[in-house]
Amino acid sequence: MKYSSIIRFIIVVGIAAILLMTVSCNRTENSPGWVYMPDMNYSRTYETYSKNPNFSDSLTMQAPVKGTIPREMIPYSYGRTFDEQVKAGKELVNPLPVTTENLQRGKIQYEIFCSNCHGMAGKGDGYLFTSGLFIAKPFDLTSDIVQAKPIGEIFHVTTVGSVSGLMGAHGSQINQADRWKIAMYVKNKLSTNL
Amino acid sequence: MRNRIIFTPLFLFFIIFSLTTAAQNQPPVEYTVCSACHTIGKGKLIGPDLKGVNDRHDEAWLISFIKSSQTMVKNGDPVAVKLFEENNKIPMPDNNLTDDQIRGILTYIKNYDETAVTSTTTAEKPKSDVPASGQDDSSLKMQKQKYGPGNTRPTFIIFFVLFLIALIDLTFTKIIKAYFVHVIIIFVSIFVLGEIVYVEAKELGRQQGYSPDQPVWFSHKVHATQNQINCLYCHSTAMESKSAGFPSTAVCMNCHNVVKKGKITGEVEIAKVVNSWNTKKPIEWVRVHNLPDHVWFSHAQHVNVGKRQCQECHGKVEEMDKIVQVENLGMGWCVNCHRNTNVQFKENEFYKEFAKYQEEIKAGTRSRVTVDDIGGNNCQLCHY
Repeated sequence: MKYSSIIRFIIVVGIAAILLMTVSCNRTENSPGWVYMPDMNYSRTYETYSKNPNFSDSLTMQAPVKGTIPREMIPYSYGRTFDEQVKAGKELVNPLPVTTENLQRGKIQYEIFCSNCHGMAGKGDGYLFTSGLFIAKPFDLTSDIVQAKPIGEIFHVTTVGSVSGLMGAHGSQINQADRWKIAMYVKNKLSTNL
Repeated sequence: MRNRIIFTPLFLFFIIFSLTTAAQNQPPVEYTVCSACHTIGKGKLIGPDLKGVNDRHDEAWLISFIKSSQTMVKNGDPVAVKLFEENNKIPMPDNNLTDDQIRGILTYIKNYDETAVTSTTTAEKPKSDVPASGQDDSSLKMQKQKYGPGNTRPTFIIFFVLFLIALIDLTFTKIIKAYFVHVIIIFVSIFVLGEIVYVEAKELGRQQGYSPDQPVWFSHKVHATQNQINCLYCHSTAMESKSAGFPSTAVCMNCHNVVKKGKITGEVEIAKVVNSWNTKKPIEWVRVHNLPDHVWFSHAQHVNVGKRQCQECHGKVEEMDKIVQVENLGMGWCVNCHRNTNVQFKENEFYKEFAKYQEEIKAGTRSRVTVDDIGGNNCQLCHY
């Protein structure tokens, strides 16, 4: 009698322990929780933004080795000085035809990337400036100073930023074709009509 | 008593000192425009250092230069042309100010005392030092909204203890003679425990409600709603790439090279970004929306081809101070959306290949095409 009750006790506690182990996860805001089969869930290869112990700066996304470029990339050699900007304006040629389609694409991209500071109509009255957050006045893109510049110079400033440093480089955010389309749109006085 | 004697003069001195420094260094409102490009005594920024500018040029010249520098350069003023050449030919923008306003700025520059300013900024610091979690009431309310089943642990422990007591009493102590009490307790607790096990097991591998602390107190509400910045400005590859793109510090610095003070957190949090830029050490953001490695997902297909809005999967991110995963991102959720969502077939280059459906839509025999119809729920589409 006594012996069998001990066995019963062990069985009860055993079942309880198994149950407790299954459910003892406690979600908090900071923990992503548990997963089934971690080997299928977590990538064994290093992903773009994951940490990498093989490099001293622990980044997976490394810059290309010095003196090399990625395939299909056309290196941009003009620097962020006034003379280089003028040089870029003289040498760079717009590879795309000025069509309504390209101008419309330029308008979409302009409204995402430029209108915060330069304003929807390009008058230099974007919300970041008028709300007083960005204290330096952005250029009026419809003014004669900007419109007199060659299209390559507008492309150049979009790519590497302004000489003053107040406008940042947008080459990493907008691809090359879209930057030409933005330049086209600006040069067309921010109008999609040809 | 002795303490008071010592501290009163100290306290008085402190008050007087802070009052005088505050009075001395109140920059005129108009000066904020200047400070974007100039410093006083801290070296050349974009334009030259303004320290001693009153001694270098006479007042009348300064006033006309500040009003419109380019007119003076065009008119061939030798000093103006020289300055323009020296500063990489960056034109100083015209300022629509009156003579008195400019005189106010010039007196401010003249009386500017670097040492006094450093003392006021250090005195001000604790005030602007809102704790890292400093949010207003509305955002706190926002965060209390729970996603997912919530914490089941207390319920589980209560019913588990009840279950154990009933079992022990039934087998060993036998205090309650009526067995049906034990039986009822045991059955109810097994039901509740089973339910919790089911809910928890279903949530394994899902992160609904995951809202980790980030290294910088960054608010999407401030950036996307208050400052009206488009999602795609920072997540610029969402249209063309599998990943929506995580903005690098360089993208932050497009604005924060000038914007150094936030409305909620003051200078503390933005300084972390600037510091990361200066030391070239990336900020270690914590990724919130994770999919298992055995699922393939592309932002380009959903945002560019499918014309989905960001909010359909990520919730109202533009109203969040702290990002939280709103949807569970489970397979059932994906498949349901694929079954119910109409594909935009008209004016969409991507679906020109689907000739049969195109014809049917044109003929009017088919009212809609769901993602399921074009093979959107095939296993191999996402799992391969």
